[in-house]
Amino acid sequence: MIGYYISLALRSLRSTPILSALMVAAIAVGVGAAMTTLTLNYMMSRNALAEKNEVLYAVQLDSWSATNGVDNSSEMPWQVTYQDAVRLLRSDIPSNQVAMHRWGGPITLENSEIRPFIADARVTSRDFFALFDVPFIYGGTWTAEADNNPVQQIVLSEKTNDRLFGGENSVGRSVNFNGAAFTVVGVTEHWQPSPKVHDLNNGHFNDSAEIFLPFGLHRQFEIYPWGNTNGWKSEEINSYEDRLNSDMVWLQYWVQLDSAEQVERYGDFLTGYIREQKAQGRFPRPLKFGLSHPSEWLTLNEVVDGDDRMLSWLSLAFLLVCLVNAVALLLAKFLRKAPEAGVRRALGASRQSVFSQHLVESGCVGLAGGLVGILLTLAGLGLIRQLQMGYMDRVAAMDWAMMLAAIGLAVLSSLLAGLYPAWRISRTNPSIYLKTQ
Amino acid sequence: MLELRPILSALWRHKVSALLIALQLGLTLAIVSNALVVIDERSERISRPTGLAVEDINSFSFLAIPEDYDKFEAFRLDLDMIRSLPGVASATISNHVPLSGSGSASGFYTEPNKETGGISANYYTVDEHFIDALGMKLTAGRGFSPEEVMQVGATSSERPTVAVVTQKFADEVFPEGNALGKAFFLGGDDHPIEVVGIVERNLGPWPNSSVAGRGVFYPAIMDQWFYYIVRAEPGQRDAVLKLVEEKLAERDPNRVINADTMEEQKAQQYASDNTMIKVLASVVILLTFIVALGIVGLTVFWITQRQKQIGVRRALGATRSAISRYFLLENLIIAVTGIALGAAAAQVFNGFLASEFNQPALPPIVTISCALFLLGVSLAAALVPALRAANISPATATRSV
Repeated sequence: MIGYYISLALRSLRSTPILSALMVAAIAVGVGAAMTTLTLNYMMSRNALAEKNEVLYAVQLDSWSATNGVDNSSEMPWQVTYQDAVRLLRSDIPSNQVAMHRWGGPITLENSEIRPFIADARVTSRDFFALFDVPFIYGGTWTAEADNNPVQQIVLSEKTNDRLFGGENSVGRSVNFNGAAFTVVGVTEHWQPSPKVHDLNNGHFNDSAEIFLPFGLHRQFEIYPWGNTNGWKSEEINSYEDRLNSDMVWLQYWVQLDSAEQVERYGDFLTGYIREQKAQGRFPRPLKFGLSHPSEWLTLNEVVDGDDRMLSWLSLAFLLVCLVNAVALLLAKFLRKAPEAGVRRALGASRQSVFSQHLVESGCVGLAGGLVGILLTLAGLGLIRQLQMGYMDRVAAMDWAMMLAAIGLAVLSSLLAGLYPAWRISRTNPSIYLKTQ
Repeated sequence: MLELRPILSALWRHKVSALLIALQLGLTLAIVSNALVVIDERSERISRPTGLAVEDINSFSFLAIPEDYDKFEAFRLDLDMIRSLPGVASATISNHVPLSGSGSASGFYTEPNKETGGISANYYTVDEHFIDALGMKLTAGRGFSPEEVMQVGATSSERPTVAVVTQKFADEVFPEGNALGKAFFLGGDDHPIEVVGIVERNLGPWPNSSVAGRGVFYPAIMDQWFYYIVRAEPGQRDAVLKLVEEKLAERDPNRVINADTMEEQKAQQYASDNTMIKVLASVVILLTFIVALGIVGLTVFWITQRQKQIGVRRALGATRSAISRYFLLENLIIAVTGIALGAAAAQVFNGFLASEFNQPALPPIVTISCALFLLGVSLAAALVPALRAANISPATATRSV
């Protein structure tokens, strides 16, 4: 029966090409607008660490000023100080823990034709790869010693290894970074979380690091982070050591806690640590720390911001207008064919079958609208990529799930739009049309 | 107006279709008027004066490859070289580039040793050429002399004794006026810094932040964060960008050079506002278009349905213009109903956007102009079908089908 309805629907749609095209266009434009913003929101709210979401925690310590909170709110600072990071790293409770920040510098090979280039670096403790599940192609992380002492070891990303060594196994080879020789100990597979939940400072969708460096190098290279540094009190900084011991925050801190018992112990550890610091005159605010799962961290950092959410509301309102439009047009179209329906009814078709026939017709309009809608969504996302000047390339892209969702949305909304017109036509009184014909 | 009664009774028979058109117009009014308010706010934001010669400025930075690199010596040689190049109007060195998204801010106080109640502002370290190189306008006092410019390392505790500030900073820190010659302090510090000059304007590194426009310039060169800011002669920017990049690499190949135009950086800062404007503008255009098409479709449908009645009216002596007028009047009634509902919906929608997303309030004039515009669109959409209806021959009345 469905097959027969579909062929009836197609014939009916062909008989009024302009009206049909208008309906398909209305649905397509509505779906295109809605799916463009929904795709953006969907891609922006993805959690690259979803698989380990339950065991990973971003750590926040409220080390801020007694008088005003961060940005004059009551929130905790997003990052931690160097001195706190170093002390937290001594805890043996977490299964894995990472203190890290962004850095960078010129990288090159000795006696090579390759032109030096600036590599984006992540200075981190060695658990980084285990905690975030970053797979290695060659080698592995550096020695434990390198987290506390200057050891010139380096891990390259796949892309950097391709660029410097043509993709060969470079473990044991030497590269020149920032004027010093580093030994390659590992090469990671391509790893690009988007949004880059592990460090949401300075943009949510930028590229991940190209090289990884051990945490013990700060004093040797007097590393100043390529990220945000925030302070709240006037501190006399006369040397790099002063800076490391200051109350400025500039590091991200993550822990992996596998069991509830571990979480509890770690909470006790942090409480104890803050008490100890309070005794020394630090942490003037009420005792407070934060342990947020990656999903919570993304929400806290407002990766999907007000503009994005406003656009989704607006595009849903837009879709509503397009639907009302489609209802009006479907009604017009069905009523014009009332005589035909009258004849079908007179020949014995039940109200229900007239109703389903017309609903199938609406569904066909929706399907066509959905297909055109996908094209419009792709065009809309292309426009956004261009307007965002490369920043959103990974986010403003459609995957298969979103394409199916587009079709689903189109068919569902066209069925909804068809409900009233189909019901109305199924109520046709056959006798009127039999008389006039 | 004699036609009003028959129109109303005819509309009553098509109440659902009429209501659907009214609903569309109403929703469109609600969306379009709110979209326009947002577009207006964002465009105003983007077109704020920056106080800078945005179109003529390039900025350059470098990272040295050897570890023990004499940066201050390199700055001197580089700047001398850059200033001698053709097409270069002026050049300075600064810790940050305005409109670049990267900057420093700090709290400033009018009394010594204060920790709270200050005003935060962006600060820059610059050499004596900065006013000219950034294309700013000195409105009071003086700039810096070469002797005043200090060389400071990242952990140097040396503090400047003089500063040039923006007019906005001067007005907000010294609301009583006459900022020139007065001193301000850093937080928890008793070292006075005297205001020796005031520049008209500088929007700073983050034009959308709350500190935008408050700027403080110190006479200093820092070796930790540095950019050469080079203003080209009008029209020479791109040539200068290439030339300076080449010459810097040539003078000392032991480094990696990075170059940007200020125009591009400004565009990056406003990328999300610009996206918002373009997306909303597309929504407004598409929506108007869709609604117009819907009105055309329905009017055509009604006319075909009433072909026979039109023929009868024509046969009974109604003029062509009376027929067209009938359909236009019918459309007007529907549109006015819809738009009246829409004006109310626009306020509700605006209330939601204002409370949820901090969007600006919707002024009545915007709603009224959008309403008039949509009324025009609605009538224009009905016009062609209505004129065609007038062509229906009175003979139609005599045919049975």
